[in-house]
Amino acid sequence: MHNVWLIARREYLERIRTRGFIVTTVLIPLIMAGFIFGSAFAGSKSKSDAHIAVVSSDMQLVLDLQAQLQQERPSRATQPAKRPHITVDAMNPGPDTRTILGQELDAGDLDGYLWIAPAPAATPDARPSFAFTPQSSAQDSLKSTLADALGTVLMRERLTHRGIVAADADTMLQPIDIETVHSPKHVDPDSAGVSITVLFFLMYFVIMLYGMNVARSIIEEKTSRIFEVMLATIRPEEMMAGKILGVGSVGLTQVGIWLVAVLLYGSSFAARVGAGNIHIGLRPAQIVYFFIYFLLGYLFYSSIAAALGAMTNSEQELQQLNMFLVLPLAFCFVVLHSVLTSPDGNLARVLALIPPFTPLLMYLRVSLGHPAAWEVALSMLLTSASIVAIIWVTSRIYRVGVLMYGKRPNLPEILRWLKYS
Amino acid sequence: MPIVELQHVRKVYDTKVAVEDLSFTIEPGTMFGLLGPNGSGKTSSIRMMIGITVPDSGTVSLFGQPFTRTALARVGYLPEERGLYKKMNVMDQLVFLGQLHGLSASVASKRAHLWCEKLAITEAISKKTEDLSKGMQQKIQFISTLLHDPDLILMDEPFSGLDPVNAVLLMDTLLDLRKQGKAILFSTHRMDQVEKLCDSIALIHRGHLVLSGSMRQIKSSYPRNRVVIHFEGDEGFLRHPSVESLKRYNGTAEIKLRPSATLADDAQSLLAQAIAHARVTRFEVMAPTLEEIFIEKVQQESPAANGRETTRVAPAGVLIDA
Repeated sequence: MHNVWLIARREYLERIRTRGFIVTTVLIPLIMAGFIFGSAFAGSKSKSDAHIAVVSSDMQLVLDLQAQLQQERPSRATQPAKRPHITVDAMNPGPDTRTILGQELDAGDLDGYLWIAPAPAATPDARPSFAFTPQSSAQDSLKSTLADALGTVLMRERLTHRGIVAADADTMLQPIDIETVHSPKHVDPDSAGVSITVLFFLMYFVIMLYGMNVARSIIEEKTSRIFEVMLATIRPEEMMAGKILGVGSVGLTQVGIWLVAVLLYGSSFAARVGAGNIHIGLRPAQIVYFFIYFLLGYLFYSSIAAALGAMTNSEQELQQLNMFLVLPLAFCFVVLHSVLTSPDGNLARVLALIPPFTPLLMYLRVSLGHPAAWEVALSMLLTSASIVAIIWVTSRIYRVGVLMYGKRPNLPEILRWLKYS
Repeated sequence: MPIVELQHVRKVYDTKVAVEDLSFTIEPGTMFGLLGPNGSGKTSSIRMMIGITVPDSGTVSLFGQPFTRTALARVGYLPEERGLYKKMNVMDQLVFLGQLHGLSASVASKRAHLWCEKLAITEAISKKTEDLSKGMQQKIQFISTLLHDPDLILMDEPFSGLDPVNAVLLMDTLLDLRKQGKAILFSTHRMDQVEKLCDSIALIHRGHLVLSGSMRQIKSSYPRNRVVIHFEGDEGFLRHPSVESLKRYNGTAEIKLRPSATLADDAQSLLAQAIAHARVTRFEVMAPTLEEIFIEKVQQESPAANGRETTRVAPAGVLIDA
């Protein structure tokens, strides 16, 4: 045990002092923050301004629509970023209207124009037809905003036709707002979802990064031939355990630094960037589960990485084998969307119990869904059991592999290694 | 009580017999040479002495006990493939390796400083290992082997790649350690070093022990049938009837005398003839050098071994894989 501690400590101290550690500690959050706030910022900006033209011979309809679109809804005023501000130009259809509008679209002065053709027959229920021509970069939501507004306007018009007083019609058409009231235990699911997704990415990156680090440092020790010196005093198992623990502690330190930084400065930083609606809403349990599943995931993948490192002689050879690490992790990415949308669906329930996917997917379920206690327990049990099995196999491969230089072993050779005592 | 005792050790890798029925002992206070051509099983034998690999059959005893890992605290091992952490600071590295051998950090650091002074590399202490010259790295590795004051020192090719000054420095250090009663095993191809340093040797070839014993015993078991002559002038005297074979170098002849009961007289008559024809500056009669014994033994072994591996053609013309 003392030797494991010595190896782990050396590994930890040597790594934490490197420039690489400082660089990744600073860079990874910057990249992720840039990614998240960048997209939030872009989203809020493009929503805020829209300029459209409405072409119709029915001026009353256009004016009503204009009023509807520019109407402030008091309950939404707290979140101005979510409500696009739409400027509406009214136009009468003329012979060259389409050409003029087309030019304005090309010039970027307009985000789109709505062409309202009168209803073909004069029956009371007949509706005019609407055609919306958006600019290519216009917001997708513009069309649905227009459709909502038009629906309200037409409804009000029809209600007035049927003899309902305009004020009554307005009251009837008042949109219903459901206000979100946070209970102390359950934070706003939207922001929790964002935070959990960020943690998911973080877990993915850190497991991948440090798993590869384990493999790389084994290869480095193989090429520098330090192994023989070490093996003259300690067991290969101790070396492997020390290495995995040491490198893993570096990963934990890094994640810890990030979490502390986020908890201390995250909210104020988000507010300053202007995306005030993203706040870090995490329950303590979600953080605890993060560390549990991070550890399980790291142990699972770094043990595989240790075997890969012991089998190969150079980084290039490692690259050919690292699909064993990348593929299962990447698979979690592929199903991320389905698990996020229905964290308690059958797909999520089954996948989250399969050890290679458990750390990432069960973490999503625990944080966002409602897995049964037995599912959580079973997922941890299965993953721990497979970690033990992997370490058993890996330590055998390791024991023989670290002293093998030269050609990469093939599968039958590796199977034979398992039988060596 | 022998420090190391190997008894009928056998180790087989997938397709190759690395060591077969190998037995020898190393006594305290001796310098032991493990000799053999490349791939003869030297490294495999050493690895079994320190438990990196386990023999398939036979026993390895250290300090009079069957091998246990606790004995490793008393063993220092310098592998043939030198290895240090390249990015690590020299002193951190030495302390770390010392700690792995059971020293406390402060003791390890104190001894490391002493050793660095002794081997004249104090200027390397604060540097990173990768910034040192190869010879310096080798000295650091040498120190790391000795830091925990082991009673058994195993060195695989310790002098390879060192300049003569440093090689002598390390040899003197090893001789000092022997004087303190340590048992030292080293493997090498350099026979002159073995003759100078070793008290006893084991010569292995293709995994088999071909020769072992104390240096003096081995040497005295061979007749003094070698003659070295340094001379100037006519070399006709080399056609003397008692000369069996000879090697000519510039101004020097190395002669092997024909086996006979009167070797000493044959040598005298050769000397007389030489003086009659040429100007002799040196004349020495001696037992074969270890190098000659080595080559002779290896060559004796080889044809037999080769014969076992070749294919024979049976009388009927059918190929039989032997």
